[in-house]
Amino acid sequence: MKTTNSRGPAILGILVAALLILPLVVHDTFVLRVLTEGIMWIGLAIAFDVIAGYTGYLNFGHGAFFGIGAYTIAILMMQANLPFWAALPAGGLAAGVVALIAGIPTLRLKGAYFAIATWALSRAIQQLALNVEFTGGPDGMRLNAFLNPQFFYYLMLITVGLTFLILWYLLERAPFGLKLKAIREDEEGAKALGLNPTKLKMQAFILSALPTGILGGIYAYWITFIDPSSTLGDLVSDQAVVMVVFGGMGTLFGPALGALLIFAFKTIFWAYLSDFQLLYLIILGALIAVSVIFIPNGLWGTLFKRKAAPPRREEPALTAVVAPEEGN
Amino acid sequence: MELLPQALTDGILLGGIYITIAIAFSLTYGVMHVIDFAVGEWIMFGAFTGFYLNKWTGLDPFIFLPVIFVLYFGIGYLIQPVIHRVLSGTKGNPFLMGLVFTFGLAIMFRGLALTVFGFYSNSIPSMFSEGSFNIDQFGITVTIPAVRLVGLCYALAITGFLHYLLKKTNFGLGVRALAQHKDAAGLMGVNSKRTGSFVYGIYVGISAMTGVLMGCILSIGAQMGNEYTIFAFFVVVLAGMGYLAGVPWAALLLGLVQSIFMIYFNPSHTLLAVFAILYVILLISPRGLFGKGV
Repeated sequence: MKTTNSRGPAILGILVAALLILPLVVHDTFVLRVLTEGIMWIGLAIAFDVIAGYTGYLNFGHGAFFGIGAYTIAILMMQANLPFWAALPAGGLAAGVVALIAGIPTLRLKGAYFAIATWALSRAIQQLALNVEFTGGPDGMRLNAFLNPQFFYYLMLITVGLTFLILWYLLERAPFGLKLKAIREDEEGAKALGLNPTKLKMQAFILSALPTGILGGIYAYWITFIDPSSTLGDLVSDQAVVMVVFGGMGTLFGPALGALLIFAFKTIFWAYLSDFQLLYLIILGALIAVSVIFIPNGLWGTLFKRKAAPPRREEPALTAVVAPEEGN
Repeated sequence: MELLPQALTDGILLGGIYITIAIAFSLTYGVMHVIDFAVGEWIMFGAFTGFYLNKWTGLDPFIFLPVIFVLYFGIGYLIQPVIHRVLSGTKGNPFLMGLVFTFGLAIMFRGLALTVFGFYSNSIPSMFSEGSFNIDQFGITVTIPAVRLVGLCYALAITGFLHYLLKKTNFGLGVRALAQHKDAAGLMGVNSKRTGSFVYGIYVGISAMTGVLMGCILSIGAQMGNEYTIFAFFVVVLAGMGYLAGVPWAALLLGLVQSIFMIYFNPSHTLLAVFAILYVILLISPRGLFGKGV
């Protein structure tokens, strides 16, 4: 399956090289900080797309896994005094385990259940973090500061880059991606072909949660302060949805593009219009609605892919008859 | 244990009101085959409309219920064709797109409400807010606030109306047919577009009216929508998606859980309890308490 034309790899190579050299040229910490967060959002968006775009199951509580990663690392580092490198994998693992627990009852069912359950789960976890002792409740947690912007820039770049490569291999080159797409297009059909949809969906969900948890952990160590509203709030989930829907579901480059554009917009918006932060929420919501109506394949799908996903209509013959709709 | 009768009464009175939200919500799911994430936001908008109408005119909020219904019926009726268009789209996966679309609407509405109404919470004053009935018999003391009793009457009236609409009219027959099989219903002459608009309008109208009631009984705030969205999901999933007869029982259970947590435990743990029950139900009987959902 070809995703880009022949110029694609060259452009990508230049981009990666530029990203690697950048901190050596740019010494402005603000710029580095913005870039680091932008890269993090690319990671969050592509991880979200594994379960949403490729498998067709919407996880409206993506932020919960980010927050779980962040809190796991904060707790392990501050209360168990573990070093960062030991705590980091635990953050991803915790997110994966929660995905497993949440996925067992919901992924056997239709997508609507999953969307509701993940959304409710993120609320419940937020509530839990507010109410229990060891997370610091509404006051949040403070981590020991490690002030090295270059370190975090490279750490984020490597993590997201590795995530991208692994996901790209699994989803675009290995049979795993095709299996997920088969489930998305026709779950019954996939079952008939001998696939085990529930198991595959579980794998996809965990694959989506793991990097999200790790990114949450890096974020916690980087920002040094986390509280339920910043890491477990809806904004993380909402932004992930916007980025993927606007950028283009079911691809890896689409969400990356969406993440870049939305994050750039957010940075500019919050820099110049910080008095109107609520307006940002309205714009996010409107952007989702408008993207769904006018560019259902997302920006990437509309701009670069000539052949979109095939139309999915059940029983086309019947629908055609109903089409005139001269009822009642 | 002396608080138990009070907890049960409160729970049943509260649960009665949740029935109205959940039935309308379930009906919309039946017709559109997509859940509406904006359900809590419609409740919130209705509550604020009641709040401001009461503030401007000084009249009792209950007088405005019909006005609010008509207003929000109109809004829902006008918005539904857009959702219908998304659902009958040929690009991508229409079901996914429908879910994402209502999710986007919910975010937009929440942002709008926070901008316009601010972060403060309020309650709507009503002439029923003050009065209450005391029952003191057989050693059991129960206080029934008048406003909750009015709420229960309202819930019974709405449920009765919906029952009549669904079971006794041609329109209701069409709605039930659409829920059963969309395309076959279309072949039998049910106009899915118009019926969908009507049902969505009714659902938005009822949600908004119920919002006013919740504002009189509990409180209103621009962030209240989230909680009610979860409650609506809880009831519908517990009842079994699309199984209307199970809705009242699930709604009463929710009311009981909420009032028991309010009296015996920490009210901020309600959501955790709701989620725990939801999880167990989905694990054991994913088609709801009665096993009759889809």
